[in-house]
Amino acid sequence: MNIRQEIETSYREACKNRNIEVPESLEDDMVLLESGLDSLGFAVLVTDLEMKLGYDPFTLMDEPVYPRTFAELFSVYERFKDRAQK
Amino acid sequence: MKTKPILITGGTRGLGLSICRKLLKSGYEVVAAGRTKSDELSQLIESHHETPSSGSISFERIDLADCASLHSRINEISKKARGLYGLVNNAAIGKDGVLATMHDSEIHDVIRVNIEGSIIATKYAIRSMLLRGEGRVVNIASIIATTGFNGLSVYGASKAALLGFSQSLARELGKANITVNSVLPGYMKTDMTSGLEGEKLKSILRRSPLGRLATTDDVAETVDFLLSHNASSITGAQFKVDAGSTC
Ligand SMILES: NC(=O)c1ccc[n+]([C@@H]2O[C@H](COP(=O)([O-])OP(=O)(O)OC[C@H]3O[C@@H](n4cnc5c(N)ncnc54)[C@H](OP(=O)(O)O)[C@@H]3O)[C@@H](O)[C@H]2O)c1
Repeated sequence: MNIRQEIETSYREACKNRNIEVPESLEDDMVLLESGLDSLGFAVLVTDLEMKLGYDPFTLMDEPVYPRTFAELFSVYERFKDRAQK
Repeated sequence: MKTKPILITGGTRGLGLSICRKLLKSGYEVVAAGRTKSDELSQLIESHHETPSSGSISFERIDLADCASLHSRINEISKKARGLYGLVNNAAIGKDGVLATMHDSEIHDVIRVNIEGSIIATKYAIRSMLLRGEGRVVNIASIIATTGFNGLSVYGASKAALLGFSQSLARELGKANITVNSVLPGYMKTDMTSGLEGEKLKSILRRSPLGRLATTDDVAETVDFLLSHNASSITGAQFKVDAGSTC
C-alpha cells in the first residue's frame, strides 16, 4: 500500500466532490487550509482514508495534532501506519 | 435505491423500542443498540423474521459509558450496515435526586452516558453520512432541558447540553446535506419514569391541555417524520411532544 498515493487520490476526490480546483502536483509545502478544502472537506478526507487504510491517526494520537502542510499530513499517516486494521 | 440503515441507541426498551418498531414499519434497516438485548426486542426481531416485510432489524451491543470502545463499535456497525443513513441518540440514564446529596459517581454516570458517550457515538456515526453525502441525526432531549423539575438538575443539564450540541452540529453538517434535530418528549410511561406516581403524576396530567401524557408511540411518529424525505428542509429544530404540558 502506497500511503502517499492513497492520500493524494482521496485528497483529489474530496476536492472534486466540493468543486475545488486541485493543483496538478501536490507539493509538500502546500498549506492545507489555503488549498480550498474546508474543515468539513477535511473530515470527509479523514473518513475516506480510514476506510481505505484501515486507521485514523487523529483518533489514535494521544495529543491532538493539526497538520498544516501536505507533508505534515503525510507524516501523520506514516507515523501510525503500523496501527492499520485490515 | 440506497438502503437506509438507522442506528437507534437505547433501542432495547421504552421509547427506543417504540422508535425501532415504527421505523421497521416504515421500511428502514433498523439497528437497535444497547447493553442488553431485551426480551421485547428479541420478540420484535423474531416476529419480523417469521413474517418478513420491507426493512430489517438487528441488535448491536453498545455501552455508551465505555467511551473508548465507541470508535471501533460504531465503525463495525457502520461497516456491517454498509454506511449509516441516520442516528437516533435516544439512550440515556435518568438519575433522580436532589443535587446536594446525589453521589458524585451518579453525577459522572449521567454526564458520561447522556453527553460524552452520545457525542462520541455521533462523531463516528456521522462519518459514514459524510461519505454518503446525506444523513439524519435526531437527538432525544427532554422538556426538562428547558423547564425545571425538582430532583432532575443533573439530568436536565445533560439534556440541555444535547440541545446545544444539536444546534451547532446542525450548522456544521448542513453543507454535507445532513440534518440535525431535537425531540423533547414530555413524561411518558417507561422504565425511566416507573417511580413517578401519585400526586406527582396527577400534577403532570393537570398541566396537559389534552388531559393526558404523550406516549412513546407519539414520539416515535415525530422521529419517523424527521428521518423522512418530507423533513429534508428541517434542521436545527426542536420538537416538543408532551401533550401540551409545557405550553
Ligand atoms: N420516559 C420519559 O418520560 C422521558 C421524558 C423525556 C425524555 N426522555 C428521554 O427519552 C429517551 C428514552 O428514555 P426511556 O424512558 O425509554 O428510558 P428507558 O426505558 O430507561 O430506556 C433507556 C434505554 O437506554 C439504554 N441505555 C442506558 N444506558 C446505556 C448505556 N450505558 N449504553 C447504551 N445504552 C444505554 C437502555 O438500554 P440497555 O439497558 O440495554 O443498555 C435502554 O434501551 C432518553 O433519552 C430519555 O432521557 C424520556
